Amino acid sequence: MKLNIFRYEGDESYYDEFEVPQEPGQTVLDSLFYIQENLDDSLSFRYSCRGAVCGSCAMLINKVPRLACRTQVKPLLEGQDEAKIKHYLALERGEKIKEKSVLVEPLPHLPVVKDLIVDEDKFFEYYREMKPFLQTDAEAPEKEYEMSPAEVRELEEYTNCILCAACFGACPVDGENLNFRGPAALAKLYRFHIDPRDDEARLKLADYEYGWWACDFHTNCQKVCPKRVPPNIAIGKARAELQQDDNQQEN
Amino acid sequence: MEKEMLNEHEILVIGGGLTGLRAALEALRSGRDVAVISKVHPLRSHSVAAQGGINAALGNTPDRGEDHWEDHAFDTVKGSDYLADQDAVEILCKKAPEAVLELEHMGTVFSRFENGKIAQRPFGGAGFPRTCYAADRTGHNLLHTLYEQSLLGKIKFYDEYFVTSLIEDDGKCAGCIALNIREGTLQAFSGKVILATGGFGRIYNRSTNALINTGDGAFLAYDIGAALEDMEFIQFHPTTLFDSNILMTEGARGEGGYLRDSEGERFMKDYAPEAMELAPRDIVARAIMTVVNKGRGIEDEYVHLDLTHLGAEKIKERLPGIRQIALDFAGVDPIEEPIPVQPGQHYSMGGISVNTDCETEVPGLYAAGECACVSTHGANRLGGNSLLETVVFGKIAGKKASEEVRGQKADKSSFSAAREKDRNLINSITEKKQGILYSDVLKELRETMFQHFGVFREGEEMREGLNKIKLLKEKFAGVYVESDSKKFNQALIRTLELRNMLLISEVLALGAIAREESRGSHYRTDFKERRDEKYLKHTVVKKEEAGPELEYSTVNLGRFEVKEREY
Repeated sequence: MKLNIFRYEGDESYYDEFEVPQEPGQTVLDSLFYIQENLDDSLSFRYSCRGAVCGSCAMLINKVPRLACRTQVKPLLEGQDEAKIKHYLALERGEKIKEKSVLVEPLPHLPVVKDLIVDEDKFFEYYREMKPFLQTDAEAPEKEYEMSPAEVRELEEYTNCILCAACFGACPVDGENLNFRGPAALAKLYRFHIDPRDDEARLKLADYEYGWWACDFHTNCQKVCPKRVPPNIAIGKARAELQQDDNQQEN
Repeated sequence: MEKEMLNEHEILVIGGGLTGLRAALEALRSGRDVAVISKVHPLRSHSVAAQGGINAALGNTPDRGEDHWEDHAFDTVKGSDYLADQDAVEILCKKAPEAVLELEHMGTVFSRFENGKIAQRPFGGAGFPRTCYAADRTGHNLLHTLYEQSLLGKIKFYDEYFVTSLIEDDGKCAGCIALNIREGTLQAFSGKVILATGGFGRIYNRSTNALINTGDGAFLAYDIGAALEDMEFIQFHPTTLFDSNILMTEGARGEGGYLRDSEGERFMKDYAPEAMELAPRDIVARAIMTVVNKGRGIEDEYVHLDLTHLGAEKIKERLPGIRQIALDFAGVDPIEEPIPVQPGQHYSMGGISVNTDCETEVPGLYAAGECACVSTHGANRLGGNSLLETVVFGKIAGKKASEEVRGQKADKSSFSAAREKDRNLINSITEKKQGILYSDVLKELRETMFQHFGVFREGEEMREGLNKIKLLKEKFAGVYVESDSKKFNQALIRTLELRNMLLISEVLALGAIAREESRGSHYRTDFKERRDEKYLKHTVVKKEEAGPELEYSTVNLGRFEVKEREY
């Protein structure tokens, strides 16, 4: 099998094609390791858990942002890629997918540092901006805050986020305007908003043009999320609540 | 040009997983200037992969009455095959409820019973449903919580820095040298050091561990004179996904899952008739290997973890993560069919020798979590106790290191000398034009470790294994990296990791060969019995001029009398 990989260092960028043996169950990450260990040790990509929980290896694979460790090469080579997302500007750039070859590129919308590694500073800056921590002053708790299983289920939808940034790289709005705080940061904010233990007024924090209101509901975020987190639903609910608050004030 | 600048802090935490973050938070709360140095972004640490849960005697389970920390301690000591230090176990279990409640108050969304309390599930080797959980993503939830909390204060994060040396100054640990992975520069850091670098599972070719678990902290500590303890005790988790060896939580059995052989038999009845699938991990792992070796495995490789009788609803609610992993990595839906599983390396019970204040023998150097050995796990760790150890002892390490922070400045010449030594080492690797690939040595090492120091061990085979390790160490001198790239030179990082792994493997081998008994995870086919009179002791290995030197230290016994282990 072949992999066509985006390379970048210094100010030079190009694509490199590698021939890699194919094993049953082989993932894109396995293939990248094969190259680094046997063909070209200068190839760089982030990795850690290899089990789709740490969020290190989000990249653009056959023009879809996803985790390299969770992506099998077989369906991609056989033209049976089931991932379908709404087309956006960043996907126009770079080389096209070739037949019987997997195209691997860095995650869009973030500056490339080297090869498949992007600078995630902006992504985490937006995350931090949402004050993503429970506000509590209890120092030595004697017992837990009680929560119903139903409350937990709703929260889990959002706490499952692994901050891999795949959604950020898949969001057409971020592609047009990097000021948009992006799906992950907003989903995180919503997660704290609905936490019954937290009493901060949260929604106002993103009640501005590039917060809740910039989303166009392309829903690429939910489609590419390896944990099926639905930022689009969080954003819709947050807007509805804010509008309701406004209406109540007007009345 | 590398800057001669010194990054000065009062406390340096090396490692950004649960232990490291908990230690850093505690140092911050003690008013210290603290930095976290990690070779990956903290959220990419291996803690994130922990699934099943965290033990605490909360006694939340409806209609089950009260639970007591003493019972938790007894289960832990018995599970350890009596090698755990009972004073350390007492701290672990006594502090467990407050540790879990604190995490809950920090924001962790634990799963709940109908009555709103934190849910608890049965786990292996435990006499009570004591394992608190957040579905089967407990580590992920805890790590995100502690990272979130760490944003509240002024912790300085050095993400993607690989520590190459610790600095010894006047007999004390005074800081470290680290390679900025992004830029390729070596930088100096001063401060007391807390090692929280996790385990070294990747010396094995079948491991549940993240690829970054290469035992860097154990190497660093050993290298400046701290002792390594009980390194031969390696936990093999019974249920890892066939081939990829991704963890399939013990919680799957805690929720009622069965293990079946090729005939569909629940074979655990022959190995632990009372506890069945919920016997401790060492016992279940050996049972599976025995079944496969007797020809009752499937494809001679694995057994089945059967959840089909639990029903779709329970699987989706309690075990959604492992269902997703089984779907993604094995194409199997546990609702419909059994999961193919085999034992794989999972945890390092041993580590950097520390007292119950997390102090090593080197002043100014502390260690906690999986990289350390207090010892709370002895010869076999119970599921749900490792997450607990990270937060309980991470906190202790942070607190202890915050006491008596020295005002005097470290001698800068010791930093310059260490940096020059590390620069020379790196240059010797990258300036060679040809040689041996690190990946070839690594592959051979991993195969050697699994083959010679695996679930079943035998003297002659292990001695052969040690010889192989020594040959690989010689080969390492010839390893070269072709890329001269400064940015993200991962081949270089992986070569430096390999150096650490080779040393750890050698220490592990020495301990395993010398321990002529079977205890917990260390099972010898040539010495099948536990021999308390000779080996109810900790193995301690230190660096001497001629190489690693092995001795033994006493086990701190206590309220629980040493007995035969039956399940």
